[in-house]
Amino acid sequence: MTELIVNTRAANTVLSSSILGADIVRQIGKLGSKSSTSEINIISTDNAVEERLFDALSRVKRLTAMVAMHLDAAWRQNLFSQLDGLHDPAEWELDDEPVKESSFATFLKAIVEIRPERRPGLGLSQAGHLIAAWTTGRDRLTIEFLPNDQVRWVLSRYYDDEPVRIAGQMAVSRLVEQLAPYEPARWFCRESKSDLPAG
Amino acid sequence: MSEQAYKQPPITEAVIEIRFATPNDDATIAKASGDFKSHYPQEDAATNVAIQLYLPTGMEIKTMAQTLEKKGRRRSSMDQTQLVLLWPDNFVISQLAPYPGWDAFFERFRRDWEIWKRGIGYKKISRIGVRYINRIDIPLSGPLLEYERFLNIYAYLPESLGPVSSYAVQAQLPLQEIGCKLTLSSGLVPSPVLRHVSFVFDQDIAKEETPPQNDDEIYNLLNEIRVKKNIVFETCVTDEARRLFNP
Repeated sequence: MTELIVNTRAANTVLSSSILGADIVRQIGKLGSKSSTSEINIISTDNAVEERLFDALSRVKRLTAMVAMHLDAAWRQNLFSQLDGLHDPAEWELDDEPVKESSFATFLKAIVEIRPERRPGLGLSQAGHLIAAWTTGRDRLTIEFLPNDQVRWVLSRYYDDEPVRIAGQMAVSRLVEQLAPYEPARWFCRESKSDLPAG
Repeated sequence: MSEQAYKQPPITEAVIEIRFATPNDDATIAKASGDFKSHYPQEDAATNVAIQLYLPTGMEIKTMAQTLEKKGRRRSSMDQTQLVLLWPDNFVISQLAPYPGWDAFFERFRRDWEIWKRGIGYKKISRIGVRYINRIDIPLSGPLLEYERFLNIYAYLPESLGPVSSYAVQAQLPLQEIGCKLTLSSGLVPSPVLRHVSFVFDQDIAKEETPPQNDDEIYNLLNEIRVKKNIVFETCVTDEARRLFNP
């Protein structure tokens, strides 16, 4: 009998267990490599509210670790405090959705690109999409981060006491150029540099 | 203080793993996990699933599949950057980014290894491994990226084949000076940063033949591996890449 072992590491390749290793092998596997892995998968079995919130928070914090080298440590810690506050089990409604990893991935892409000096107020949509809002005087920018690198945004700006309201939906990679005509520095920048993302 | 060569080290995960010759049972792992509670308040049940397929040779192919499950515990810090993985046959500490430097990482290993041994006692060690997974995010400035300007490890192809859209390479080398085996993996991965191309550079250095069994020798080996992995890393990246780590 010939024994063929599939879905384990290649016969001569035993690697040290890791958290990200399995993801990387999967990503490299998508390139066409036939080597595979039997690394770690975490299976959650408890669906209690606290567990759901904990799992969602853990996932997005680990996702943040993927780009942590591009973020200032204090900015990251404040972000985590905001996320913890948003997912407080004591305040949680049963039919609310915790933050979705796919939405948070889009958020991180935008944040690493924009590097806003001012932290946004954060909220969640019913579907678990992260919503960030910046307000300066009467001017307000609200961005909903959708899965698959999409963003939906609404801004309201006053020109000589006349309000202009504009909305858009697009790939996150176009966000900066699309916001540019509305001088987004009014929302993202401030004189105090105390909580700058790395840059 | 931890020595940090770079302001923004590209390390996405650092791992030290001790593997044992014989497995621990579930109850032992559960008890050991409790000993780590003060350092890692969050706990997950973890299951490692592997599927084996048996394809017998003969006139008629009849495939049999067998699922192998390994249950363990994963404990983590509140910010999810510091983790300890307790499996029946291995003990792992992991550091996700931001990487605090070897000194801090090594001290955490020593602390946790002491806790593990206090709870479990001596177990014969069959493998000691150190793994560093780096991701190098390179800004895109045009339609083509010359990865050779940043990395000294990549797939070599004849120029006549044209530009490469993706690749993955893996190599194993003996590290005779320290009696270890180095497994290098590198490849293109989807970038989590807009307008960047990302390459993984993953090195795993392990001692599988006659690994040390006492603490002093284990710590000495880990420090030797650390020196070697730094040399390997510096050999495999260019000055242009180094500038990315010190913006």
